[in-house]
Amino acid sequence: MEYDPMIMDTEATGPSVKITEAGSHHVDFELQGVDLAFANSLRRVVLAEVPTMAIDLVEFSANTSVLADEFIAHRLGLIPLNSKNVDDVAYSRDCDLCNDRCENCSVTLSLHARCTGDDIMRVYARDLVVDGGRANQWVGSPVITDPEGLGTVICKLRKGQELNVKCIAKKGIAKEHAKWAPTSAVGFEYDPHNKLRHTELWFEEDASKEWPKSKYADWEEPPQEGEPFDYDAVPERFYFEVESVGNLEPDAIIQQGIKVLQQKLASVIQTVTEGEGGDINGMNGADDYNNGPRSPDTGMVGSGWQGDTGYTTPGYGGGNASTWGAGAATPYGATPYGQSHSNGWS
Amino acid sequence: MNAPDRFELFLLGEGEKKVTEQTDTRTANSAVFTFNKEDHTLANMLRAHLLKDQHVTFAGYKVPHPLFATFELRIQTDSVISPKEALVNCCKSLVGDLETLSREFTKEYELRKMVAGDGTGIDQ
Ligand SMILES: [Zn+2]
Repeated sequence: MEYDPMIMDTEATGPSVKITEAGSHHVDFELQGVDLAFANSLRRVVLAEVPTMAIDLVEFSANTSVLADEFIAHRLGLIPLNSKNVDDVAYSRDCDLCNDRCENCSVTLSLHARCTGDDIMRVYARDLVVDGGRANQWVGSPVITDPEGLGTVICKLRKGQELNVKCIAKKGIAKEHAKWAPTSAVGFEYDPHNKLRHTELWFEEDASKEWPKSKYADWEEPPQEGEPFDYDAVPERFYFEVESVGNLEPDAIIQQGIKVLQQKLASVIQTVTEGEGGDINGMNGADDYNNGPRSPDTGMVGSGWQGDTGYTTPGYGGGNASTWGAGAATPYGATPYGQSHSNGWS
Repeated sequence: MNAPDRFELFLLGEGEKKVTEQTDTRTANSAVFTFNKEDHTLANMLRAHLLKDQHVTFAGYKVPHPLFATFELRIQTDSVISPKEALVNCCKSLVGDLETLSREFTKEYELRKMVAGDGTGIDQ
């Protein structure tokens, strides 16, 4: 640990959070002590790179409904599936236990419905049944939040029509397909009085009349009459409004987002400093990570990133040779960057 | 039909490295780092944070082409540390900040839960 502490004028205290509102499907909070870039990266990563479960493959054994197979497959893909502790699930593309898919990297859901009555029958998300094993007890169950416990309508069937499908749900991120998004929206706002002039507020007659004030406008000092523009001012308070689609709890979304960012940074540190310090064992895992296509989080972390287990990802130096604090009883940040000089870090 | 696979945005290709360093010979103490399978999310965060390092005299990034998931980060330092060291320090510092953020968030969220009584539907 021989690096100079960075000069941080405003952030001597580091990031701080104030939660203003929270519910089972949303969390609103104010973030301070970070710069715009940091806040925006958190927003971006939460939108696009937090892993969740979604149906990815659908096998049709029967479909005599009026909707085409691909139409129904698309609808099935968009149904939110519970993704609690999705870290337990491997990405299918780099699952060590199978060549195609298995219980470690996918969840199978089946749906069989046939309309026998004279009334039109609706097929709902609750009709999806998890088959076989899965990585944990939550992952892959359809998210059902309506009071009747029905979930999303998948299709309607008339008398004699039938739908029989087998769905394979996999872990993925929204960068690949929006069906894997954990959020339906992430509100992001700063400088409610536009003191920084980051936006123009086009108007016909009077901007202050035509633009409704943000609810956060009351939280910050309005500009004084004739106040000169402050060229040194930077945004300091960021207002987030995170809205979950139900597959992950709102706090889990933020925590996972933070984790993904840390993993990105960790993989940069690892690649850039590769080969320094000379511990061969510690580098095996690094090679494993850097060569060949692997999903974003594999190799770096396993399950114990912030936990207390250290990680034991196969092929990643499980044990004391690992670069990233294997066996550490402390989270990464608390005992930063490896424990001793034996691991390639100094 | 010929659209590239979406996973090419975030999966490193065979033999591809996350970061490569190219010394910039036009100026002293400067280097251009090319990041693969990354975008503005990482780039802008690094850029902004590097500028807070007293040893960094320049940090800027560009995405050479929007269809390729890559960016170039140019760092110039005073002679005290190398661009590479600046980059590593920056990453470490950011990891630390994120750790603080995570802790702060957990603390605040737990507090909320306690006030509301239980963990479910905490706002009512
Ligand atoms: Zn598998």
